[in-house]
Amino acid sequence: MDTALKAIADPKRREILRLVWSSEMPASVIASYFHGVTRSAISQHLGVLRRANLVRERRDGHRRLYVANVDEMTRLRTFLDQYWSGGLDRLRTAAEAAQRKKDNNNG
Amino acid sequence: MAELTREVLIKAEPSTIFALLIEPGMQSWLGTDVEFDPRPGGIYKVNVVGDHQALGEFTEVVENEKVVFTFGWNEPGHPIPAGSTKVAITLIPEGDDTLVRLVHSGLPDDAISDHENGWQFFLDRLATVAVGGELVESGELPPG
Repeated sequence: MDTALKAIADPKRREILRLVWSSEMPASVIASYFHGVTRSAISQHLGVLRRANLVRERRDGHRRLYVANVDEMTRLRTFLDQYWSGGLDRLRTAAEAAQRKKDNNNG
Repeated sequence: MAELTREVLIKAEPSTIFALLIEPGMQSWLGTDVEFDPRPGGIYKVNVVGDHQALGEFTEVVENEKVVFTFGWNEPGHPIPAGSTKVAITLIPEGDDTLVRLVHSGLPDDAISDHENGWQFFLDRLATVAVGGELVESGELPPG
């Protein structure tokens, strides 16, 4: 437990966990989300998360792939929550802009 | 079978929102379209994250009121295969605004209840432990 708590105490590691929450990612792609953080620092963070059993590591040729170690349904559920919330947000932004344009044309 | 509901209040008329719901475009509200044919029996394919693709069929399209389609992943062996779940979007006028209600039904039952899902659930559990509380369930982290 201690290991997991220490692992998520770091904001960068929490961000990594979020990134790999719903889909597996190679270390290189994870690193590309962080500016000003070295690739080796990201590898160290991944190592901490892996030892805390919060992510699973899989090798594919030269690549190492990471995914959050949560139940598949939990992961899907979280993904769908975010997916629909994000979709409805985009819909709202577009609809409110379209409505303003309509109102201006009519007024 | 589990169900997920999301609502958003939009400052627009139902007709404005409906037009956008069924508007095909490279970047629609669903994601990046590959195929989008919003009429009963019409198929859509949308890239949702990375190279993952959602695939479904429109089953009900009622102008300015409702759009219903099936939803699943276009991948063999996926726990939510294409056609296995249903998404219903209803437009409910509320004064000058419109309440958009999205109900995703037919989802496989979760190990955890509706309001305790995913990321938030996970962080809450960790926070509970961090302040010296006790977990009611298995006490194991992460869930599953």
